[in-house]
Amino acid sequence: MSGRGLRSPASTAISALVPLVLVVLTAALGASGTPSFEDTVAMVLCNLIIVLGLQVFIGNSGVYSFGQLGFAATGAYLAALLTIPAAFTALQTPELPNLIAAAQLSPLLSVLIAAVASGILAAVVGWPLMRTSTLAIPISTFAFLIVVYNVLANWDPITGGSSGLVSIPRTTSVTSAAIWAAVAVVVAIAFKWSASGYRLQATREGEVAARSIGIGVTRERLIAFTISGTLCGIGGALEVHQSGVLSPDTFYFAASVTTLTMLVVGGARSVLGAVVGTLAVATVNELLRNLEEGAHLLGPISIGETPGLAAIGLGLILLLTMVALPQGLTGGREAGEVEPVRRRLRSRFPSTSPAAPPPGRARPRSARGAAGGLRAEGISLAFSGLHVLREVELALPPGEALGLIGPNGAGKTTLVNILSGFQAPESGSVLLDGEEVTGWSPARLTRSGVGRTFQAGLPFAGLTVVESVAVGAMGVGIGRGRAVDIAVDVLERLGLGEEAQSPAGLQPPGNQRLLGIARALATGPRYLLLDEPAAGLNDEECRELVAILHGVIEDFGCAVLLIEHDMNVVMDLCSRVQVLDDGETVAVGSPEEVQADPAVVEAYLGTSYAVGAHA
Amino acid sequence: MTEAAQSLIDALALGGLYALIAIGVTLIYTVMGMMNFAQGEFIMLPAYILYVLAGLPFAVAVGAALATGVAIAVLAERVAFRPVRDADLSAQLVTSLAVATILQNVVSATVDARAQSVATPALLSESSQVGSLSVPNLEILTLALTAIVLGGLGWLLYRTRIGLEMRAAAENFEMARLLGVRANRVIAIAFAISGALAAMVGVLLVMQTGQVSPTMGLTPVLVGFIAVVIGGFGRISGAVVGGLVLGALSSLLGAYLPDGLVPFRDAIVFSLPVAILIVRPQGLLGAATGEARV
Repeated sequence: MSGRGLRSPASTAISALVPLVLVVLTAALGASGTPSFEDTVAMVLCNLIIVLGLQVFIGNSGVYSFGQLGFAATGAYLAALLTIPAAFTALQTPELPNLIAAAQLSPLLSVLIAAVASGILAAVVGWPLMRTSTLAIPISTFAFLIVVYNVLANWDPITGGSSGLVSIPRTTSVTSAAIWAAVAVVVAIAFKWSASGYRLQATREGEVAARSIGIGVTRERLIAFTISGTLCGIGGALEVHQSGVLSPDTFYFAASVTTLTMLVVGGARSVLGAVVGTLAVATVNELLRNLEEGAHLLGPISIGETPGLAAIGLGLILLLTMVALPQGLTGGREAGEVEPVRRRLRSRFPSTSPAAPPPGRARPRSARGAAGGLRAEGISLAFSGLHVLREVELALPPGEALGLIGPNGAGKTTLVNILSGFQAPESGSVLLDGEEVTGWSPARLTRSGVGRTFQAGLPFAGLTVVESVAVGAMGVGIGRGRAVDIAVDVLERLGLGEEAQSPAGLQPPGNQRLLGIARALATGPRYLLLDEPAAGLNDEECRELVAILHGVIEDFGCAVLLIEHDMNVVMDLCSRVQVLDDGETVAVGSPEEVQADPAVVEAYLGTSYAVGAHA
Repeated sequence: MTEAAQSLIDALALGGLYALIAIGVTLIYTVMGMMNFAQGEFIMLPAYILYVLAGLPFAVAVGAALATGVAIAVLAERVAFRPVRDADLSAQLVTSLAVATILQNVVSATVDARAQSVATPALLSESSQVGSLSVPNLEILTLALTAIVLGGLGWLLYRTRIGLEMRAAAENFEMARLLGVRANRVIAIAFAISGALAAMVGVLLVMQTGQVSPTMGLTPVLVGFIAVVIGGFGRISGAVVGGLVLGALSSLLGAYLPDGLVPFRDAIVFSLPVAILIVRPQGLLGAATGEARV
């Protein structure tokens, strides 16, 4: 049932077709109405393109941008200036460069140029903005929107200033708007299901975990930001060819709120949500706008002319959605995705230990071979004066299983953070197969063969099990198809094959542990750093985990660094054990030697465990 | 020399105003982790009170404006923001955007969508002679208010129990809660203070421009946000530094920019955070950027 893909062919087909059918139906409805209704519908379809643009970035990254309308404005102005007849251009924008002023391109060409220009602008603007944090992006993109507005409203000789532009050819029909909207749907859904789209969704589900599987957060955000800017530019260009007029206010704050409301009401995470939200909000908006002009309601109740009524309605809808239905009308699901069923929380640990793999299975990148191993040399680190690590040495040769033990606060996780690039040491260096890798980003280290898991698990809760593992392989640059093969293979070996299509976030704790390991394995690590994989598991689950880890070491041939409190697990798996206490190495040796070491007994075993209990 | 001193005072006064806005934004961010878009409307509504109560004595109108600022902030927290308190920061941001939209358009619908002019007391549009300088009284008032607010906040945060609770909540909200800090009270008080600060800013803006409009809060809230980004998230000191830097820059650009470029002052000022963030993604003073940690 896990199938070969990330979802069944039927689910894929339904998810892609339903939004397209909605676009076609909307266009058909518009074409059958009065000319003014037809104009309204064409406008809604243009808006849909912009909302789909928002979906590509906001929906997949989970980061809000308030600046995408700036790209719509850019596209709109460019398309307008390129198509306004030269006679009118001279009146409205006297200082426009002759090349553009004299140009009277075909509307289609102007839209294409607008698309390219907006995309380039988005890439240029996004390059610095995407480097900032999840919290700073909404603010700096909002700043970008105001900058665009300020320039458009004040650069009179080029843009017509705050009075805007008129006499723009009105060439966007319901049909052409629908065709472009369909293209936008296809682009949005293709991106969402591409390797890049999945990597971006992984950053949405957890930035830290995403970096641990090789994903460059900034890069993935920038790709989506650029595609989003391009779509918004197309939407803006088509819209201006629909209305025939343009001013700096057309794509400013109010339009930002409207399009954002459309996206959020439908459900930002799904392309279907963008379509449904646009249609629903546009309908309500039109009704409210009619009321704004004054209307006679039931009996004696009537309202006078009330500007702002539609906007109040939009604000209330947005507020209610955020409070009551944060994932929107679609729940953030595509048409072919069913609502996950919350099942009894039951661990799916295999009842028998996994068999050795049959030969010839898909296996992540090469195992053994490279000499040298992963080494830490003279690592020291202090947090606000408190020593966390002092001159720590650690060597993890290829293929070995090394246990890292010590009391709470000994510095074990910090050491793993340093080895995996999440924390820079103050002094000392990290060497990977003899190469100095201190200061490398987590993503780069992962791509070079260092994988890790987290104590807290950090699952990609919003993805399915198979997606959340496949994205591990995509994270290190493996193509989508092969990534899925690897994920299916890893999941089967770990006994999670049957869970492939269920949401990762709804898995019981035992499966979450395995899922973290599976995700790291999918990146094809040569060195796998496991941070307390057995924490929170019961005795039986622990034994099963040990069996699985044995299989992992043998099948995948990767070296394992195991932080673990459960001595049974350590003694069973590791040929060598290193003991940390208070940031310093107390002992290194075979499990037996370490257990017999008086310093270890004093530091660790003596306090928490009976000596010899596991000997 | 005189001209330079004059520019400096102008820059400080505008920086002080921006710092007041940024402190209001930061206070809410520290206790709730929310960047509040509606802060601009907490500024705009009290400003409209001055317009509505134009006939009454100025002091009464200002008192009513302050009360309005506090009331609207506390009300918005109770009705709109409490339900999304545990949501992620994007959801909170969008919720505050919804609140901002509603408040803005309620004013459009009930008063007017266009700007209205408000008479200001003559005293505030005059200037005082300080040494060889002629300083507008409004700038003196702004600087004085900034100093008083900073002193008052310092006292509140470091000398009172509620201040201790607020700092604890800012440090680690869940832990503070476990230790008995009453979350609802701390957050409500932060909103009340923030609303009062916003009302002060609203009054100062009306005195400066002589008019009110439904969208008058938009630029100030962005100024506050950017000041916070520049200064580093979640620190009062960062907000003050960010506000001063932004105000000084804006003021100096206004004075020294070539004529042709003056209309683009806002564009240049608002591009600044991008420039700063390229060099220092964590802000000028910042450590806490809201970036996820292991």
